[in-house]
Amino acid sequence: MDPLTIDTTKIKIKKNKPVTAIDKLNDTGLISTVLAAREREGLILFSAIDQFFNWARLSSLWPVTSGLACCAIEMMATAMAHHDIARFGMEIFRASPRQADLMFVAGTVTKRMAPRVKKLYEMMPDPKWVISVGSCANTGGPYHESYSVLRGVDLIIPVDVYIPGCPPRPEAWLYGIIQLREKIKNQGYGAKWGLNK
Amino acid sequence: MKTDELIINMGPVHPSTHGVLRFKLTMDGEIIKKCEVVMGYLHRGTEKLGEMKTYLQFVPYTDRLDYISAFPNNYAYVKAVEEIAGIEVPLRAEYIRVLTLELNRIVNHLVMLGSLLLDLGASTMIMYGFRERENALQLFEMLCGARMTFNYIRPGGVREDMPEGFIPKLNEFIKDMEKRIDDYEQLISGNEIFLGRMKGIGVMSAQDAINYGMTGPSLRGHGVNYDIRKIEPYSVYPDIDFKACMHDGCDSFARYMVRIDEMRESLHILRQVVDAMPEGKAITYAKYGIAPITGAPTAASTYFPRIFAPPPGEVYSRIEAPKGELGFYIVSDGTIKPYRIKIRSPSFCNLTAIPKMVEGLMIPDLIAAFGTIDVVLGDVDR
Amino acid sequence: MNPAEEIKQLFPDSVLSTGLQMNKPLAIIKKEELLKVAQKAKEMGFDHLSVITGIDYGSRFEVVYNFFSYIKKQNLVLKVVLGHENPEVDSLESLWKGADWLERETYDLVGIKFSGHPNLKRILLPEGWIGHPLRKDYDMSIDQFVTIGEDGEDVVSTDGSNLLRK
Repeated sequence: MDPLTIDTTKIKIKKNKPVTAIDKLNDTGLISTVLAAREREGLILFSAIDQFFNWARLSSLWPVTSGLACCAIEMMATAMAHHDIARFGMEIFRASPRQADLMFVAGTVTKRMAPRVKKLYEMMPDPKWVISVGSCANTGGPYHESYSVLRGVDLIIPVDVYIPGCPPRPEAWLYGIIQLREKIKNQGYGAKWGLNK
Repeated sequence: MKTDELIINMGPVHPSTHGVLRFKLTMDGEIIKKCEVVMGYLHRGTEKLGEMKTYLQFVPYTDRLDYISAFPNNYAYVKAVEEIAGIEVPLRAEYIRVLTLELNRIVNHLVMLGSLLLDLGASTMIMYGFRERENALQLFEMLCGARMTFNYIRPGGVREDMPEGFIPKLNEFIKDMEKRIDDYEQLISGNEIFLGRMKGIGVMSAQDAINYGMTGPSLRGHGVNYDIRKIEPYSVYPDIDFKACMHDGCDSFARYMVRIDEMRESLHILRQVVDAMPEGKAITYAKYGIAPITGAPTAASTYFPRIFAPPPGEVYSRIEAPKGELGFYIVSDGTIKPYRIKIRSPSFCNLTAIPKMVEGLMIPDLIAAFGTIDVVLGDVDR
Repeated sequence: MNPAEEIKQLFPDSVLSTGLQMNKPLAIIKKEELLKVAQKAKEMGFDHLSVITGIDYGSRFEVVYNFFSYIKKQNLVLKVVLGHENPEVDSLESLWKGADWLERETYDLVGIKFSGHPNLKRILLPEGWIGHPLRKDYDMSIDQFVTIGEDGEDVVSTDGSNLLRK
């Protein structure tokens, strides 16, 4: 038998039911929200709304299909059954950028393709995020000295998370997606409207 | 009623074009009158970079040409270098190379079937195909540590010998794949919708196909029995018993059936290779070379040729890649870097036939015919 | 018999020399007679054109054609030597349709013109690109950028201020 397979039906996690009143208050997460709000010196109401919106956004990011080269095949492998990307809410790759809010730039961005990538980014509605995958999209990669390759996609669009690799393994993809979720958790409406100071 | 012609752009960013390829279609209603293919959105300048790197440093670039099947690309380049430099390869290395080539052929056809059916609207086959591909990629990872860009076949042999436990796992994979190919055939080939969309679509006569330079499984679907492994055999193929698969249909369905048959033939070859694997070294000791740091010529005791300067000359050598005839034309001028590398890629030459093939069809037929030609943009644009 | 020797017998004044390219028969042809010799090669049974390569040697250009015959299972290599200014040679597109894009690619990257080609435009690089990259005197330090013009076609320029972020 393969020693790496774990039978998940045999594992039980014990969770203590809250008994005292303080335990029950802890369980609702109200105290941690208030403390977080005080840390950011913001209004409590907007912090709660922030948390709610952020949670809604990060749980269902819909990517747009902009795979350009070899990293696109690893994108397909990450989206398939073995390393499931649907557990992060991303199984629908929208073909139209108007319906998407995440763009994976996977593959080499050449000079001829660069204005199209920029147009694709500008067509996406706010709020939007960009993940640059692979060394070709990060800095030009193995084709850095070539005459027709753009040295990194962050010369044309702002990038949130960089995933290195050539191509990055699906485990690295998922780690990058988790990093983006952490980043979204700390964004806020209050921060955008300047209400937090 | 007066009608006008309409020019529709199937742009670089499209889910069904297998990458960044652009079609400019001149339509009369629903029928395509003229199709112009615009490419070059992934042109990375590989041939120019080849002139700046040594012979061994260029091997990773060949991985990224046809990124789905990277072993045949490596092997085509290394075969040309070994011909021009006169390096001999031990027999065990040749058997390991053939093993990887045939395994990669199976992976390539799985991805092709998956994406063809995804374009037609069915999403089951791509799930199955990628599940099988994961098993094969775990085998590759045991061998060389990478899933897609291997950099394993080097001039003089392979990078390292096979690890323990590789052959039992390979045997398990072969047994598994047998049943699955029958599953796929039952799932797809009898399906009425599939037959309706593929039979009679993308018809081209055999003379035209040869004239346009089509090679590989797409040509064997037109009734022309041209397989480089049979006509100009290389490596250990003369000692292996297999047949070149051919169908007479001249349409998309025949091109698809050739690939199902080829997967079965590859399993047959794999079994023979595993049985006949000889003992010995998997890498060669260099007969000549230049020591990397001191620059002095070394005796025949170095690891394998890292830096070497072949005699001046030129060579064109080709192999049967899963997509067609892949050839490398190398010009050497006696220094440690090549003077000119030209890559003859199968996808580029197969794509030449598309404008002729789709005249008079509708756009969904274009997608079905284009899917059976099996084009990868890394190969077209290099 | 060696196909290159056969061609030398049929066209004794078009063939400059014969030889071997790593055990494939090779014949060097004069530039003006290429179409005639290629037509004869097609009649001899060489129906598969594998590759067209353009090489820049600094003082001359060379164009190499590799043929294969399905019927007789033989190889043949034809080579044409051109001068360094205005290299131009006849196009083989009328005989082998596959030569269409191979010649366009050679024009695009090496800069050799093919007369008689129906559509000699750049294929891998955008239309307005300056220079031919695979020549030995191409300047790699100039960065050229592409933006989309008004009718949707590419516009190439060396200043990328429209495209790059500040």
